[in-house]
Amino acid sequence: MPIDFWAGWVAVLTIVSLIGFAWVIYGAYFGGKSVEGDEESPTVWDENLREGAHPPPMWWFWAMLASLVFTLIYLILYPGLGSFSGAFKWSQGGELEERLVEHASTFGSRRDEIARMTIASIRQDELLMRAAQRVYDRQCAACHGLDAQGQADMFPNLRDDAWQWGSSPEAIETSIRSGRHGIMVGWRSSLNRAEASQLAQYTLALAKSKPSVHPGKAKFEELCAACHTTAGTGSTALGAPDLTNGVYTYGGGVLEIKETILYGREGIMPAFGDVLDDMQIRLLVAWLTRDV
Amino acid sequence: MNVLGLHKKLEENSGLLIFGILFVSSIGGLVQVLPSIFEDELITPTAETRPYGALELIGRDIYIREGCSTCHSQQVRPLLAEVKRYGPFSSAGESAYDRPFLWGSKRTGPDLHRIGAKFSDAWQRVHLIDPRSVVPNSIMPAYPWLAANAADPRNNIQTRLRRLRLLGHPYSDDAISNAPDLVANKTELDAIVAYLAVLGEAAGSGEEMAH
Repeated sequence: MPIDFWAGWVAVLTIVSLIGFAWVIYGAYFGGKSVEGDEESPTVWDENLREGAHPPPMWWFWAMLASLVFTLIYLILYPGLGSFSGAFKWSQGGELEERLVEHASTFGSRRDEIARMTIASIRQDELLMRAAQRVYDRQCAACHGLDAQGQADMFPNLRDDAWQWGSSPEAIETSIRSGRHGIMVGWRSSLNRAEASQLAQYTLALAKSKPSVHPGKAKFEELCAACHTTAGTGSTALGAPDLTNGVYTYGGGVLEIKETILYGREGIMPAFGDVLDDMQIRLLVAWLTRDV
Repeated sequence: MNVLGLHKKLEENSGLLIFGILFVSSIGGLVQVLPSIFEDELITPTAETRPYGALELIGRDIYIREGCSTCHSQQVRPLLAEVKRYGPFSSAGESAYDRPFLWGSKRTGPDLHRIGAKFSDAWQRVHLIDPRSVVPNSIMPAYPWLAANAADPRNNIQTRLRRLRLLGHPYSDDAISNAPDLVANKTELDAIVAYLAVLGEAAGSGEEMAH
């Protein structure tokens, strides 16, 4: 069905309705004789409203005339009559475009300025840090927690020194902008229960005594060292966590670690490059790397 | 014709009066509602809009069953604050495969039309089962039973897809015959998370509102 048909449909129906409306008003007040009611002593409401068919009170006339005039002016100025876009050429999209331009011209230069500030100077600016916290609260807290200390044995703590993908401002910015996808494969086809327990014990031991002799050591070097390194210090390039710092995103008990080893883990940090602008990302990086 | 005389006639003839009332009150619908059912611009899917997959469709039905749309809208309005907060504003074509659409009008929680890319599936699962485990001040109810129920217990996903195909949703024969495999051994939680993950995927690149 061509869109023009419906535009015409809307326009014609609107105009015909308005003409009908005007005809009823005109006819009721000036077009004919009143029809008297049957009552002998008629009751009168609202100045001159009586039994029978009479013109309604005059203030109704003025109210309806005013609404008719308003409608006509509105339909001339704004879109309403089918595809006629109105004298003002107003549209929702155009209005939004204008607001966006206004927003950019009001705040754009200041936001660009902040986006180019050094991390150190942002950290010294209390107002900016407060703004950064608001960005964090809105965009990050749902997963990483209101205090940024991680939660649900799944979302990493952002207040400690352990950064799976690197702790430099650049690495953190990349994590925010492009997201991260961490995958640890499960090893249940390569391990029996006893070996998995030994491996879990050894993994935990890496953070404490770093034993040179351990029943889980051989399996660790065979299966885990490729990503986590022989010393267990991990690789920020691969997103393989450091196992010597005692930080365990998915829980640090033997059972949890055994589960990780057997079934693997998958962690997704969504990309915020489209959601946040450069300034907001800069503020977040400064806030996340601040000294507490 | 004498309007006052017409008035008398209408008042004395209730059948005529009923017809007159129906006629006058239908004009608004004829002008506002009828064209929107046929206007191409409103019913043509945007370039990025695609019909829901089998699991997503079940998720959508669960979304409706649990009354999510009583608290969450799915329409980003073309206003500065909304576009800045949620992303590109919604267009009618994005709802071409939504029967019924779930735009909603109440926001006790946030709008969900652009929620898809914002959270990982893992977060959605934890959050649906116990919202306060990740958002301590959340007032959203918990939906723990979703994890316990099978996604398609009556095994009727093919019927649902066939009915939608009758209404013009372009499901291929393959899509329909593969559907039971896609939803087998899935829970309602899997389904609704799959649905939430595709919300907002169809954000029009043509009206991209970069922040």
